[in-house]
Amino acid sequence: MDSKLQSIVLDWIPNNSKVVDFGCGDGALLKILTEQKSVTGYGVENDPEKINACIINGVSVIQQDIDAGIQNYKGMGFDVAVMASSIQCLRKPRDAMKNILKVANECVITLPNFGNWELRLGILNGKMPSSPQLPAKWYETKNLHLCTIADFEELCSDESFVVKKKVYLNRRGSSSWLANTFPNLFAAQAVYLIG
Amino acid sequence: MKTVTEKISFGDSLTLESGQVLSGFELMTETYGELNSKKTNAVLVCHAFSGNHHAAGKRDGETKSGWWDEIVGDGKTIDTEKFFVVSLNNIGGCHGSSGPTTISTESGKPYGANFPEVSVSDWVKTQKLLADHFGIDCWELVAGGSLGGMQALQWAISYPERIKKAAIIAASSKISTQNIALNEVAREIIKKDEHFHNGDYLARGESPNKGLKAARMLGHITYLSESNMSKRFGRKLQDPENKMDEDVYYEVENYLQYKGEQFSKTFDANSYILMTKAMDSFDPAKDFDNDLVKCLHSIQAKLLIASFDSDWLFPKEYGLDIQMSAIKAGVDSAYIELDGDYGHDSFLFYSDQYSAALKNFLNSNG
Repeated sequence: MDSKLQSIVLDWIPNNSKVVDFGCGDGALLKILTEQKSVTGYGVENDPEKINACIINGVSVIQQDIDAGIQNYKGMGFDVAVMASSIQCLRKPRDAMKNILKVANECVITLPNFGNWELRLGILNGKMPSSPQLPAKWYETKNLHLCTIADFEELCSDESFVVKKKVYLNRRGSSSWLANTFPNLFAAQAVYLIG
Repeated sequence: MKTVTEKISFGDSLTLESGQVLSGFELMTETYGELNSKKTNAVLVCHAFSGNHHAAGKRDGETKSGWWDEIVGDGKTIDTEKFFVVSLNNIGGCHGSSGPTTISTESGKPYGANFPEVSVSDWVKTQKLLADHFGIDCWELVAGGSLGGMQALQWAISYPERIKKAAIIAASSKISTQNIALNEVAREIIKKDEHFHNGDYLARGESPNKGLKAARMLGHITYLSESNMSKRFGRKLQDPENKMDEDVYYEVENYLQYKGEQFSKTFDANSYILMTKAMDSFDPAKDFDNDLVKCLHSIQAKLLIASFDSDWLFPKEYGLDIQMSAIKAGVDSAYIELDGDYGHDSFLFYSDQYSAALKNFLNSNG
């Protein structure tokens, strides 16, 4: 997770809260949250190498497939659920969103924006596009359900997910006038606090 | 590797979970490596059902190394160049610690079936006294597989301030109905041996070896995975020259015959019964309204819970169950599912993934 995005997520998560990070990777975010915000954090991850990285980082982690597992975390007293750049990898993102909001009071979602102009150009060129946020080739990407900012916000409105905060970031990971004014075209990533 | 094998006597009486009292007891121990001056590098390894104090290295004249030799040793996963590793034979066992083969001071005869019932928390209590003996205030790690993993879990519950990390491997917070059933069949086989004499065989100079052998053969099947057995033996026929028994046809039969035979020569039938009973009754949540979450609340140690995908005796759901309760209780805990070829016995053997998880856990900060 790049530094701007990380500082936003850090800012939104209250001190001493209980956090679950779905698709926690090497546990870097949870480690920082533990150190800087005294959170009690748990990661959910299915890649054995990343699990090992979590263990090295001293981060609590559960090896589990997120697709199968989100609903298992209901009633565990989580204040915040984080899903950073994972929602598009899930088999059923809408159901996953509904479940996440049953797991925690609030959730932080970060999203690569497939509507970004550079990706649109890639498509116009007749090729599956790539970007720093979406680097993998079409044949090895884990992404199943890519969406644009407009798509995601439409889902939130259709399902009455309350967007409490949102930030749009350009491809350099910073906030800019263009990205904020025309997010669906100029933002490369979006981050939401949904309650 | 500096290895010290020592029998340690404890003079004070020990009140067991059952309410029965041992007036004193002995622990057969083996240690590897050196305790540092601050006594902050101590690791306790707890043996499983049939293990003993001899966890690592090979003694003169032995054909097999200690039960966790693939994991414990100089430069190994639990590195004895860095850590002082303590291993012991639990009470009720038959490898030097107080147990059914010990001569009772009251009767002058072996305890036999009269040795009191022991539990996992009794073992942990004696292990705490052992820590006191060595002057160890806090274990860096308590680790074990199967019944040993149950001891690691019990440690974290019973003595939260005296353990930093617990590795609970191929274990559960209580065994399944099916496991209890299998244990009961094994006990029945032993008890029906004509030489068992209600457990009083030692005083008569006899031994129910046939029953013990058959019980172990049954147990051994449950420790292996179906695929591992298929791979190792398939339907290969046993070569006639090395047959353990006239009736043996397939290699797998001969293997079980051999394993059972070896086991019956080194294990005590009353110990077998005691150990399986301790396994059956292990259920730390029972003292907390059967609420595992409540039971885990006091834990201060970090947990590593590891299950093996080919283990059908302690399937991964059991490990996951502890983990989910640990999360509810707010306990620091990592849960990992490992590839293991050997079924339940996988915890005994080195694999890159398994070793990395355990080593990283042991060496991680905090």
